Amino acid sequence: MNPTIETRSLSKWYGNVLGLSDVTLTIEPGITGLLGPNGAGKSTFMKLLTGQLKPNIGQVAVLGRPVWNAYPLFAKIGFCPEADAFYEEITGWEFLTGLLSFYGYSRNEVGDRAAKALDIVELTADKDRRIRGYSRGMRQRIRFAQAIAHDPEIIILDEPLSGLDPLGKRKLIHLVKGYRDQGRTILVSSHVLPEIEAMTSRIILIHQGKILAQGDIHYIRDLIETHPHIISLKCDDPRALAASFVKEPYVHNLRFEADAGSLVVETHNRDAFFGRLNAVILEGGVRVDEITSPDDNLQAVFDYLVGK
Amino acid sequence: MATIRDKGYSHWDGTLRDRRFPWWPITRTGILLTFRKKQLKFFFAFAFVPAVAFLAGIYISERLEDFKFMFKGSEKFITINPAYFKTYFTSDFLLFMMVMILVFAGAGLVADDLKHNALQLYFSRPIGKKDYLLGKAAVIFFFILVLTLVPGLLFVIFKLIFAGSFRFLAEYPWLLLSIVGYSALLTLFFASYTLLLSALSKNRRYVTILIFGVYLFSDIIYGILFGIFRSPYVALFSIKGNLQQAGAMMFGRKLPFAYPGYLSFLVLAGIFVVSAVVLWRRLRSVEEVR
Repeated sequence: MNPTIETRSLSKWYGNVLGLSDVTLTIEPGITGLLGPNGAGKSTFMKLLTGQLKPNIGQVAVLGRPVWNAYPLFAKIGFCPEADAFYEEITGWEFLTGLLSFYGYSRNEVGDRAAKALDIVELTADKDRRIRGYSRGMRQRIRFAQAIAHDPEIIILDEPLSGLDPLGKRKLIHLVKGYRDQGRTILVSSHVLPEIEAMTSRIILIHQGKILAQGDIHYIRDLIETHPHIISLKCDDPRALAASFVKEPYVHNLRFEADAGSLVVETHNRDAFFGRLNAVILEGGVRVDEITSPDDNLQAVFDYLVGK
Repeated sequence: MATIRDKGYSHWDGTLRDRRFPWWPITRTGILLTFRKKQLKFFFAFAFVPAVAFLAGIYISERLEDFKFMFKGSEKFITINPAYFKTYFTSDFLLFMMVMILVFAGAGLVADDLKHNALQLYFSRPIGKKDYLLGKAAVIFFFILVLTLVPGLLFVIFKLIFAGSFRFLAEYPWLLLSIVGYSALLTLFFASYTLLLSALSKNRRYVTILIFGVYLFSDIIYGILFGIFRSPYVALFSIKGNLQQAGAMMFGRKLPFAYPGYLSFLVLAGIFVVSAVVLWRRLRSVEEVR
């Protein structure tokens, strides 16, 4: 499968400040999470992808073409900025139709597309209200609507879930997944890790302008050998379970949790550990009620990679 | 997920088509938003008072016998010639009304986009910075041309209709060119002047004060300096003075200030260049990630 977005040696700086450094990566259809703390370079990266910024070094290709100055190519990209970017005195309908008119649609098509986008984000009833009167969640939804109204192949969302209530977040995540199911490429940035985790396991980790890791979150976790995997086991007899593992060379550490019903194992070899665990359970020595991996998630990977 | 990944993309072979007028949506929105302002409607209507009066003058000039009771001994004021047109185009009132209209139509053109962080929405769409600037400038073009070129051409058309012959055009073959040229000069100048000031602040109110204040202040400065130095060259500090000097030159009339007319053109061109540089730098602010 060919990537939709490719960057080669991409670098951008603002005076003496480094925005992005030597980024070479590819992004394929589906949802990709762009993760990093504030100031990591996420917005710079997104603006480079949307052709708003010219790279100092390197190149960005979208759908196989260099994106800088390729204005007609922008019709294939939908961009949802992080901050509000509205004229407060216009209505949601005017906002959408005004932006849609840049794509050269007929007046009827502009109306149809605006109506469809408003329907998708459930703002049809409020389309004639001025944006000044919109709640934070409604503003976020109209921002999303303008990014999808022209039916782009690539959707770039900068912190799309900020400001939404839990229900709103769930709806938007559902929408984004719907676009994924249509085979589109979606890049979602966030510094809130669970939000990304709810949408995708495919991530790009960015920190201080550099890409720390890219790929499947669990795969990345497996590659981090300096940090052992943490496995938490809830069982009826943690001491007996610990005794079964204490002499195993791949077990780095064993400890009992305060609730006395849990054993936490740190291991460098998850496969070997689970192989032995199966044997222990089958031998009937211990009944295991729950197995969890508290550090097999985005937060842990992120913390490990940025050295927290 | 598997089915999605199957779809994938090969390099896109579609045709990239440039739109012919990508700036038009910006202009249309700018004009529509301007007309929503109630005060603008009043000033806009009021700005046509001179045009109506001058049109009436053209009609009267062709019916002097009927109106001689009104113009006894002062027929020369309604003699339709380039001076008549120059008087309309360079009148203090018309220039002032243009500035007032710019206050409503132009103050927020760039300032509002900077304030609302809207540049990134424009530039993530199929338009470039030049299209953006052209779209914004075209809003000013519209309002200034409606007050200059349109009445100027209407004056000529009505003159021909009332006179019933083309002799007027034969007498003044350069007049149409003067009308078009001076309208273009006013339009370009006011567009660059307004966009320059609008790009200096995110606050529309400050820009409003600047548009109005710089115009008036430049004239006040001229008055003060003239009082001190008694030199006609100090009129180069006055925006109004430069516009009137350039107008007189373009209509082939006696210059109001005793210095070469090209100097006023240079001053106006200088403002245009400064505006272009400032606007370009401000638009590049979109490249600063906040």
